[in-house]
Amino acid sequence: MEPVVQFDNVNKSYGKHVAVDNLNLSIEPGKFVTLLGPSGCGKSTSLRMLGGFETPTSGRIMLSGKDVTRVPPNKRNVNIVFQDYALFPHMSVAKNIAFGLELKGFDNQRIHRRVSELLELVQLQDYATRLPAELSGGQRQRVALMRALAPDPDVLLLDEPLSALDAKLRQQMQIELKAIQEKTGKTFMFVTHDQEEALTMSDTIVVMNKGRIEQMGDPNTLYGRPGSVFVANFIGETNLLRSTVISSEGDVAALNWNGITITANPGGLTPRHGEHLYVVLRPEAIHCSAAEPVSGNRVKGKIRQRVFKGNHTSLMVEVGGGALLNTLVHPSDVAQLGGEDIWLGWKPETTTVIPDRHAHN
Amino acid sequence: MRNTVSDGPRTTLTAFYWAFILYLLLPLTLMMAMSFKDANFVAFPIGDWTLDWYAKVMQDKQFLEACLYSIMIAAASTLAATTLGTWIAMLIVADGIRGRTIIFALACLPAVVPGMISAISLRIFISTIDMPTGTAAIILGHTVHAVPFVVVMALTRLRSMPRNLVDAARDLGADGVVAFFRVTLPYLGPALLGGMIFCVLLSIDDFVRTFFLGGYRPTLPMLIFAKVQGGMSPEINAMATIVLVVTAAVGLYAEFITRRARTR
Ligand SMILES: Nc1ncnc2c1ncn2[C@@H]1O[C@H](COP(=O)(O)OP(=O)(O)OP(=O)(O)O)[C@@H](O)[C@H]1O
Ligand SMILES: [Mg+2]
Repeated sequence: MEPVVQFDNVNKSYGKHVAVDNLNLSIEPGKFVTLLGPSGCGKSTSLRMLGGFETPTSGRIMLSGKDVTRVPPNKRNVNIVFQDYALFPHMSVAKNIAFGLELKGFDNQRIHRRVSELLELVQLQDYATRLPAELSGGQRQRVALMRALAPDPDVLLLDEPLSALDAKLRQQMQIELKAIQEKTGKTFMFVTHDQEEALTMSDTIVVMNKGRIEQMGDPNTLYGRPGSVFVANFIGETNLLRSTVISSEGDVAALNWNGITITANPGGLTPRHGEHLYVVLRPEAIHCSAAEPVSGNRVKGKIRQRVFKGNHTSLMVEVGGGALLNTLVHPSDVAQLGGEDIWLGWKPETTTVIPDRHAHN
Repeated sequence: MRNTVSDGPRTTLTAFYWAFILYLLLPLTLMMAMSFKDANFVAFPIGDWTLDWYAKVMQDKQFLEACLYSIMIAAASTLAATTLGTWIAMLIVADGIRGRTIIFALACLPAVVPGMISAISLRIFISTIDMPTGTAAIILGHTVHAVPFVVVMALTRLRSMPRNLVDAARDLGADGVVAFFRVTLPYLGPALLGGMIFCVLLSIDDFVRTFFLGGYRPTLPMLIFAKVQGGMSPEINAMATIVLVVTAAVGLYAEFITRRARTR
């Protein structure tokens, strides 16, 4: 399918500072794509370039097959939902939503129909005549979303639209946003630095770091098979085991980690003896028990810290040589562990291996 | 709980405050009181009260004409100053403008230059460009004087405006002009209205500039000045009282508007 958005070798510098570094990205229509990365990694800059508010220093941006690199914002068929909503304070909810439609030259009847339809979509029919100042945060959020959707853009851009909401409302809006995206079939390009938000909503996550794309893929892949230490650390909680290769044959590599021999699947890699690797071990992949597990990787440890998190208890387990493993158990299982001395075990196939040369960032 | 230690200074302060208020209000009160006096000269005792002076003022063609003239000048200079001041304020906050400090300083200069100096320089200026004294010259003078106040009020409001607002308008298909008239201007609205009322009051009140730039047609302050020179009479008190009440009401209203805008 023809991509609706395409960044070709896009660069953006402010003076000497490179904000976006050779961005290549193409987005299929109808997808929920998230740009995820730490503060200052160039997410907003990328989005603003697509919106027309920044001009790339070099490169090309295509929108629905047309080169829009130098087209002003009012002439491109994309709309932004701003972080602070940017609702027009002197206009009613209905007027705000109608703004883009009026500028498109729609007649009053058509505008009225579209506005009612959109207000209904987010159950705000009764609020049409209110001013933005008279709405709650979540309601403003919905109005901003509908205002941007109203002119039927090719892509909807959302720059951290949920960050001003409290945790509970944010979760609710994540689900609602995803539902609206599915219902309307629009392409959403969403920016956030919250990995959980990205995992919840996205079809595709683009992890950015220092102006570059670090890895791109669906949430499952990024979580289960991170391609770099940065991604492994940024998405979810993780244990990174820096290991030395003892031997490697096909799907099985024997590694020395912290004096213990463990096995892992090196994926497509062909590691040589003595080479360093990182093994990504997720806390939930570790099984804690009082008795020694019969198969798989296992290590004896001592519980150093327990943190009750409601639906699970997080354990920090010291496994010798000062190394700590982060693991989690169901609260009701904690008692069965007996004492502080426990066994940790995990299946080799639940881990991912990252070569050392990709580790430094 | 009242703190007894600080009560002494506090009482003194309050007393001074009331003394000051009295000092401010006494001349005005006297002036207003005398306008109701049923006699031909301004002095105590007042004796009988009357509204005749007001009736006389309202039938005074000179007074009415001067009022009209003053209002006309105020309206014209306010319109010019508001347009100019808003434009300068927009220029100062615009992206990529160099020397915005200098623009701001220049725009504010007329507010700090002594009225006399400003009047003389304006007079010299108009004769240099061969502009006759009279209505146009007065409007020019009042405009220059009023611009800084508009600039400051518009700037304050513009700086509090989320910059995303204009971006959002552009994003939804507005070009620069449409975004200005449909988003920026309504946002500035309350501040501009306040600024405009202030301009009107400045213009109506202005004597020095008008005196230097005016022709034979008297504005309100010039008329009252001429009348005072002809001798005090309760009629002048009545005129001044009318002007006082109207301008105070308008001023308070302006304050109310800008205050409400600030709390939005
Ligand atoms: N107008 C500008 N002038 C100079 N530098 C800028 C400008 N805009 C952005 N930058 C720089 O470009 C880099 C990327 O900024 P950007 O706003 O895209 O980050 P971001 O990923 O959106 O971060 P955040 O999560 O904090 O919003 C930052 O280092 C920032 O300082
Ligand atoms: Mg940002």
